[in-house]
Amino acid sequence: MKRARPLLGTYVEIEVAGLAEPALARAIDAAFGAIARVHRLMSFHDGESDVSRLNRYAASEPVIVDGWTAKVLEKARILFDASGGLFDCAVGHELMRSGRLPSQGLGHVESGSFAAVELLSDNRVRFSAPIAIDLGGIAKGFAVDRAIVTLRAHGVREALVNAGGDMRAMGKTARTIHIRCPGLDGRAVQAGLLRNAAIATSEAAATVMKQRARLPAPGSHHAYSVVAPTCLLADALTKVLVQTQDAHAGYFARFGAIAFVTSADIAEVRVA
Amino acid sequence: MKASQWIWLPAAVISTAAHATTYFSVEQVQRAIFPGASFSATSLPNAWRASSGGYVIVDRVVGKHEYITLAVGIHPNGTVKQIEIMDYKESYGYEVREAPWRAQFVGKSASSPLQLNGDITNISGATLSSRHVTDGVKRILQVYETSLKGKR
Repeated sequence: MKRARPLLGTYVEIEVAGLAEPALARAIDAAFGAIARVHRLMSFHDGESDVSRLNRYAASEPVIVDGWTAKVLEKARILFDASGGLFDCAVGHELMRSGRLPSQGLGHVESGSFAAVELLSDNRVRFSAPIAIDLGGIAKGFAVDRAIVTLRAHGVREALVNAGGDMRAMGKTARTIHIRCPGLDGRAVQAGLLRNAAIATSEAAATVMKQRARLPAPGSHHAYSVVAPTCLLADALTKVLVQTQDAHAGYFARFGAIAFVTSADIAEVRVA
Repeated sequence: MKASQWIWLPAAVISTAAHATTYFSVEQVQRAIFPGASFSATSLPNAWRASSGGYVIVDRVVGKHEYITLAVGIHPNGTVKQIEIMDYKESYGYEVREAPWRAQFVGKSASSPLQLNGDITNISGATLSSRHVTDGVKRILQVYETSLKGKR
């Protein structure tokens, strides 16, 4: 059974097998529910989300967030530290300045880094500087992971959850993965077989670069992919790969991940 | 946790023009949104009234490179009950499917699925925006307000 809904600003598809139809339908509904919950908690656009409340108030006082939000922030902190600051969710200022995110009520926000995020006890969070965070580089992967966990709790053992190209497979089935690459309109590159793992892909144009990063050439036709045990890791690590262009960096292996760059000229496909 | 598995395949460029998936027929999506209800026709060929109250409206959304049919279930009080994508098809201009789309519903039972052939799936790439679907849902709610609300 395969279903799709518009969530997280993209199309989320869930494919499941191995149980009777009513059980699969119930499992899919619950999994979409988990994704919708991540969306509600972590949307920059929704003024009532945890992310919006953090951005408005956490520089003045500790804000209590949902346990899921706290978990994502904790992972974001680990990735920030492991990547030497290249994975940085404190990009709200940059995204608002370039008009990619709304800035209502956030006039106090300045440029900064995730180092200002303090994770306190009992899911309380404080910012030590007037930053704004955007979890767009990690929440989608987390949502896919929550959907997989939810499906498993409903007895599903064979599933694929695909949130607009960030996906995670569960079960014995090996799935052929194609990479969509800028400059290859209407075509995709066959890359590999995925089983019990996640993959995410980013483009340079969609990634906020921290200043120290080595920028890819403008208009470069590359797709940056990471295969990892969880979709949160795959999603987040693509943002690092885009900036460093270095698929061999040590942190990929440390997280159990494989990084690779696909070029529009497939003769240049590089593998790690 | 089992180790993650990734097996390299020879890089090959494949057209995604036939990337299409059908998730629901009209009848299936009606049952999924209002389980146990029966459905009657309305003044619109692409809208049905549920015996339990509420409506299912089907519409088509054209994005930059994608064609999507979606169904919106509307509660009797006019709020959205559920949004389901019925089919998804990519097109990069090789074919334009702009036949009079709504005509397929006229005089038909709601049981005929919209036939599209699936081909490759599992494409990882920069995220596709679903903004067109969001706009499509707004449009559907306007249709509900002007043509269906308060009628039996």
